[in-house]
Amino acid sequence: MNNKEDEKIQTLLKQAMAPVDRELERDLWPQMLRRLEQRAAAVPWFDWALLALLVVGLLISPHTIPVLLYHL
Amino acid sequence: MNTHPYLRAYMAGIVVPSIVLLFVLTGFIIARHVYEVPIPIERAIVFPMGIVPSAFGVWNMFYLWLRPRRHLPIGFHGALLPCLLVPLGYCLGRSLGILTFGPNGLTYFQAVALPYAFFAAGFSIGLIAYYLIWKYLVGFFNQVLGIA
Repeated sequence: MNNKEDEKIQTLLKQAMAPVDRELERDLWPQMLRRLEQRAAAVPWFDWALLALLVVGLLISPHTIPVLLYHL
Repeated sequence: MNTHPYLRAYMAGIVVPSIVLLFVLTGFIIARHVYEVPIPIERAIVFPMGIVPSAFGVWNMFYLWLRPRRHLPIGFHGALLPCLLVPLGYCLGRSLGILTFGPNGLTYFQAVALPYAFFAAGFSIGLIAYYLIWKYLVGFFNQVLGIA
């Protein structure tokens, strides 16, 4: 195989394979920082009210507890 | 982590009932063998142990499938599950003889009588519990497993 053929193979290989990007398209660190700074979403008052209703309901009718445990 | 989303949804769904079941089962066994409560737990436990965890997993898979088509918040989606589980539990209870249907209410294990009004209240409590469990606990596990 002479040099000319080597060059031809090199050219064909370069054409066939897409060049690999060594660099990232964008900086991911700011996005990571934003994610780290994100606080957990606060529980809305409606859900607290539902939780209170649930506790009161169970306190008023405790004999529903085994039934709930069976069905759910 | 983009592969097998339905398997991950199933796994995220069964975590909560599997953990809760451990405590429920412990309570049932203590009640039966320590306090000798005359309730046939062996028959009663079939439904919560066999069906409920899988139902959570499958319901979470259904949530994942439904999300791009008709998005319903996960809390509301979870609150619909008792509408399937309660009739299923009722049918199984009837077939196993642990649940009888009377004029004033339901009787579980020939020992626990529950008037219909209390049954309705219990069902509402169940809906609330499922809404909160799905919104906060199953939602959290969905996030952990990358399917939220």
